[in-house]
Amino acid sequence: MNIQHHIGDDTLMAYVNGTLPETISVVVATHLAICPECRKNVALMEDIAALYLVESEPAYHVDADPTAPDIQQLDPEIATAASTKYQTDKGVPNPLADRMPVHLEDIPWKKLIPGISHYPLSVADGSRKKGVLRLLKIAPGTPMPEHSHSGQEITMILRGSYIDDLGRFQTGDIADLDDEVWHQPVADTDKDCICLIATSAPLKFSGFFSRLLQPLVGI
Amino acid sequence: MATGDDVRRDVTEKAAKPIDLDQDLIAIATSQDQGAYQRVFHAIAPRLKTFLMVQGTIESIAEEILQETMLKVWQKARLFDGSKASASTWIYTIARNAKIDRFRKETRLVPDPNDPSYIPDSPETGEQSVTKKQESNHIKEAIATLPSDQLRIIMVSFYEEKSHTEISEELGIPLGTVKSRIRLAFGKIRNELKGVS
Repeated sequence: MNIQHHIGDDTLMAYVNGTLPETISVVVATHLAICPECRKNVALMEDIAALYLVESEPAYHVDADPTAPDIQQLDPEIATAASTKYQTDKGVPNPLADRMPVHLEDIPWKKLIPGISHYPLSVADGSRKKGVLRLLKIAPGTPMPEHSHSGQEITMILRGSYIDDLGRFQTGDIADLDDEVWHQPVADTDKDCICLIATSAPLKFSGFFSRLLQPLVGI
Repeated sequence: MATGDDVRRDVTEKAAKPIDLDQDLIAIATSQDQGAYQRVFHAIAPRLKTFLMVQGTIESIAEEILQETMLKVWQKARLFDGSKASASTWIYTIARNAKIDRFRKETRLVPDPNDPSYIPDSPETGEQSVTKKQESNHIKEAIATLPSDQLRIIMVSFYEEKSHTEISEELGIPLGTVKSRIRLAFGKIRNELKGVS
């Protein structure tokens, strides 16, 4: 896999310090599983965070018992043995696979508008105000309605590719977009483009027709 | 709670007798070394508690999270691999995950090398982690080159674990500026590190 578009440092840092909405962290962790370069950036950020911790001045007295716990240590061979949860391959990395009922090939797509279908994925914090997580399938040549976002939108390409004002995005790539970015992706090969999309807040569509669509589409 | 004098004394003691976290972790793993565990405990627990309380965690929960962290450090010591991360980073990630698990409904999402879809690091990336001790000095030097407006955001993000939105409200600057300063800061840090390796 030749990944050209990576996760922005601002998003990675929010992943490292634990302040990302859950929807967005699913996409980040899924990309990290296939992207050594982004994992290296995460490792650097964790090194920095650890320096802030170990070099800080302690200001509180600890009540907890400093003696070693009287419990068995984990055996590395058992603890790192491949877990049985990977026996059903769903064609995508965890933690996305954990949220899909079936293999990516067998997703029961729901049609939104001609050429575009979706499949919403559930997250533990299911409040729509916290954003949504969904799979989106764009048929070849179909333009998505042009839209912007009231928060952050992060997309990972799982199959195929698309092209928009920002460039060409292929399997494994990430489009990490802030609000105020307007874009109109078009699947640019003869295959469906399947993406994983997370938002931190609902999208806003431009144009009269697109605005009519929004309550329907809900993305 | 410690008085100011206690804190200062504490720090001077630590400075006079620096401990090697990596070696102590290995001693915990290979021989269940009680002394090594206590050294790690005294080096980490008070700092972790301070870290958590600065972030607004109430004291009883901060104690729970640090106990959970130290329990995992003991339990998982044999999984520590010094070629992949330094001991301080390894302990930090355990602590951060323990904190997130304590506050969220769901456990923290992390990529898993056992996942069949996982793409491992190329050999070159693996070798770059050989000079670990050196590197933390290099990281400090790289951070020291940041302009103060970027440094402040990095500090608040890591030490206080604030979100971009919270930082933007606290500093009275637009969210986009917070994000672009973070990007500039890491671009610069990576550039500095490239120069020394």
